[in-house]
Amino acid sequence: MNTSDVVLAIARKELTDRLRNRWVWTVSALLFLCTVVIALFGAAPVGVVGGKGAGAAMASLMNLVAYLVPLIALILGCGAIIDEKQRHTLDLILVYPLSSRAYFAGTFLGFALALAIAVVVGFALSGPLLVLWVGVSAIEYLILTFLALLLGTAFLALSFLVSLLSRERGRAIASSVFLWIFAVFVFDLILVGILVASGGKVPATLFGTLLLANPADCFRLLCFQWIGSAATPLGLASVAPSKLPAGLLLAVLGLWVVVPAGASYALFQRRVDRDALV
Amino acid sequence: MIRLEAVSKRYGEQVALRSIDLEVRQGEWLGLFGHNGSGKSTLLRILLGLTRPTTGRLLIDGEPPSAAAWRHLRERIGFMPERIAFYDHLTGREILAYFGRLRGVDEQRVAEVLEQVGLTAAADRRLGGYSKGMRQRLNLGQALLGDPEMILADEPIEGLDPQGVHAFFDLLHAGRVETVVMSSHRLVECGPRVDRICVLNQGAVRALGSMEELSRDLQSPVRVHIYPTESANGSLQSTLTELGATAVAMHQGAWVAEVEQAQKVAFLAGLTRCQAQIRQLHIEEPNLEELYFEHE
Repeated sequence: MNTSDVVLAIARKELTDRLRNRWVWTVSALLFLCTVVIALFGAAPVGVVGGKGAGAAMASLMNLVAYLVPLIALILGCGAIIDEKQRHTLDLILVYPLSSRAYFAGTFLGFALALAIAVVVGFALSGPLLVLWVGVSAIEYLILTFLALLLGTAFLALSFLVSLLSRERGRAIASSVFLWIFAVFVFDLILVGILVASGGKVPATLFGTLLLANPADCFRLLCFQWIGSAATPLGLASVAPSKLPAGLLLAVLGLWVVVPAGASYALFQRRVDRDALV
Repeated sequence: MIRLEAVSKRYGEQVALRSIDLEVRQGEWLGLFGHNGSGKSTLLRILLGLTRPTTGRLLIDGEPPSAAAWRHLRERIGFMPERIAFYDHLTGREILAYFGRLRGVDEQRVAEVLEQVGLTAAADRRLGGYSKGMRQRLNLGQALLGDPEMILADEPIEGLDPQGVHAFFDLLHAGRVETVVMSSHRLVECGPRVDRICVLNQGAVRALGSMEELSRDLQSPVRVHIYPTESANGSLQSTLTELGATAVAMHQGAWVAEVEQAQKVAFLAGLTRCQAQIRQLHIEEPNLEELYFEHE
């Protein structure tokens, strides 16, 4: 049996599990509900209620993604491999004639597909309402969906790392919530603190580099570059150096997927070799 | 097939295995026996390549195994982990189909294995509704999927009643598996069903050989149960001691005399002196359980 068949078999199993236990549909429903609320009240901060104010609604959608998608991804992935270990199925799979790389890749792919389906279905259900009634640009909505997927996958990769470092599901959930709070709230507050403390004299290059150190900020900066109507100043990204090219931001967000996933795999392999996963 | 040479395993300060020399021979059924924590599971994990020895070496077909050799071995073996929690939300057929895909076997083979382990009727029921015995049969089915030459089973009869144990061994025989390595702490039930017994205690091999070989070396005394007649007097107890019994105690209406194997015949001959006081005799030879505890 070739490696790609094994990867797909494992991915299919992980995806099917999440479809059967209704995780995917629950997240889709949550996102649908939130986007409908935004369609109705997303422009309320600028004094418009009900089907108007596409820019403000788009900014609210961007914030929704920046806050909610990382949390969903972190909670999804934090028990990924540890659960298999604790139910003793991982030992069994590792004795099968397949590589641990194929197992890891299949598991990550399955979880990523589950997350992708949840996000796409949630956004697709409310899309017509937002585009036809609120007047949100369909292209911008698609771009936001794509960036939401990328952001979610980055946090999913981080959740695998958290899971392997935590060695136990309860600790992994606690660590994931801590990581979410840090990435979504605390990190920006620290940067604001640095800005205030320095009297705004932080070099633009350094400030831009610091923003790249957080995938949530990479996402926000990309939104500001690609989604014109969401350019309403929101969050720290609005004071970011404007010279960071979109290609760089996209590449860095891509690295936020590849590097944690690679580090997770390396840690997984090391723990497998040492028989020290849990 | 697989050989361990002076294999030791430590987990930090804890010693799990101490200088184990053991060969799994092609075509044999080898039983690893010992109490919890004796090192059985660690030994199985080393044989499976899930754990590396701290010292010593493992040879597959006479060679230190490369990654390719492990892969080749894993194509030839089936593994039954202890306390496996298969996915409760899947049916038996779906679980075997999943593991079958990982082995590259088709749906036809899955159906054959379900038939083989007697789960065809329950194949489309979710695992949540399976009994302990059915789960263990599914575990065996999973191990049989690749038509393996060898099965390694960690405590495969744990939690099964005597009928379940009997059924498990029948299925294992029906699976036509050439070589079996299984761990258990139920020596009395499993011992007679394997070719060789390896008794482990505190990570070391305390006994290794066929049941016959081990029984031959057995040093445990014979127990002679002597049921006295109603007219028997108090001298019987002292006579038993005089005849060479190392211990004499009254138990459930009988004097139980422990006699060394070498003294057995002479002791029984001596009993003719007081046969008028003896209603019934029962000779209890040391059994596998005795052997087991002797090595604990």
